[in-house]
Amino acid sequence: MREFLLILRGDGMNHLSPDELQALFANYQKWVAELGEQYLGGQRLEEEGALLTNPTEEILTDGPFLASKEIIAGYFMIQAADQAEANEIAKRSPHLGLYQIEVRSLVFPKMK
Amino acid sequence: MSTHTNPLVEHLFRTTAGKMVAALTRLFGTSYIQLAEDIVQDTLITAINHWSTDKIPEQPEAWLWQVAKRKALNEMQRKKMILRYHQGELAGSESYHQEIDTIFLSHEIADSQLRMIFTCCHPSLNTASQIALTLKTLCGFGIKEVARALLSTPSTINKRLYRAKQKIRQSEIPFLIPSGKKLAPRLEAVCLSLYLLFNEGYNASTGNQLIQKELCLEAMRLTKILVDHFPEQDTLSALLALMCFHSARFEARLDDKGAIIIFEEQDRSKWNRDLITEGMLYLSRSTQGSLLSAYHLEAGIAAAHCLADSFAATNWASIKKQYQLLHRLKPNPIILLNLAIIESQLNGKRASLQTLSHLAKAGDLANYYLLPATQGIFSLQLKDYPQALLFLEQALQLTDSASEIAFIQQKIQACRVAMAN
Repeated sequence: MREFLLILRGDGMNHLSPDELQALFANYQKWVAELGEQYLGGQRLEEEGALLTNPTEEILTDGPFLASKEIIAGYFMIQAADQAEANEIAKRSPHLGLYQIEVRSLVFPKMK
Repeated sequence: MSTHTNPLVEHLFRTTAGKMVAALTRLFGTSYIQLAEDIVQDTLITAINHWSTDKIPEQPEAWLWQVAKRKALNEMQRKKMILRYHQGELAGSESYHQEIDTIFLSHEIADSQLRMIFTCCHPSLNTASQIALTLKTLCGFGIKEVARALLSTPSTINKRLYRAKQKIRQSEIPFLIPSGKKLAPRLEAVCLSLYLLFNEGYNASTGNQLIQKELCLEAMRLTKILVDHFPEQDTLSALLALMCFHSARFEARLDDKGAIIIFEEQDRSKWNRDLITEGMLYLSRSTQGSLLSAYHLEAGIAAAHCLADSFAATNWASIKKQYQLLHRLKPNPIILLNLAIIESQLNGKRASLQTLSHLAKAGDLANYYLLPATQGIFSLQLKDYPQALLFLEQALQLTDSASEIAFIQQKIQACRVAMAN
């Protein structure tokens, strides 16, 4: 098993109505339940933050400093046998369509 | 992992969102309705993230309020500079925490919703904006849902809401329940807006049945909040009675396939007796004073229909009298159309057709589908088939509604069959 980071970009859920969010919730719950042990965690990120490029340059802060579809909304950590399985898991996620999902493997083998 | 399988109460997010936007607007002031909406949106997203990966809390609604409160406090600290002025007028020396705790008490939530109703229906906004804003903020509808319900487009609704909020900011509309001399005209505006909201749902000839019904239910829910707070306001009780009577007939208006059933042929056993009883209760409450509003008359007419055991047993004379009074209060060619239809019950269809043709000549209802449709149906019933065909084909040109077109075509078919025999 390898670990994958699913990076979600966009602001899709901001545009859903309360009824739509409640409907999405059921699918979201199902997705996590089906993943079982393969689901390792996840978090949303605040839209504001800072972007640093080098120690001397000024810090770009108090965003959103990117176009909304480029903002990282959050991430999931999952376990999958390989890239193909990780992609499949991302495909089944109810977030896809609302967000762009980047599926990236942690470098293998992971050093403890 | 998700182990909790209790489903959420239907529309929990929507109803809670409506309440939370009202409570947060009370905290921030009417200039910050958008901020209140953003915090509520973020609260709901936080909820589905947590509940999906953990479990649904025992009391989901209380959980939502708790999170909204934390987010609001965070936001107030962040925007201290802007909000301090408002806090001063609202709570004196009380801290944010005490203030927010008071506002989030359950009885204060109803109070906040009342303030929100008066804000959304403020006379400085036109009725189209009032209705859209009410649906968005008080009823928890999304932009797309408001557009679908009002048969408009999301971008039109978006612009309308944006301008309405801007207007509220510029006019510095206070978040208050009006009192004294100011109350009567403000209540009148609120009644009209809720009446129109209800009619959007009840009379829509196109669109999604389910959504249309939601509009009616929401209009009734909001009117009830008002009636509870102002039990002595007869007009409000009359309006609520009217809504009860109309809603009672909601299910009987269409058959299993969604086709229109004309009033005369509706199955009266499908009328909702509980709603009729409730309507009678509010109607009797509405006659405490001497005031007779258009809502009283419309409720009276609807009650007369609901109380008749059959179409034939309807008290047409009483209904006619109330329509005549109504026409004196608010003259309107549709009332004249209704009077002409009632005439068919009192003096026969030929007399009624004569009146209808005068109405048609007057031209006020030139684009109103129900006028030629009624003429067509009466002519058909009098076996004057060629004339009926002319009227029905005229009616066909005046509607886009699939169910109305199907209904007219069925009548045209009946004419053709009769003419061939």
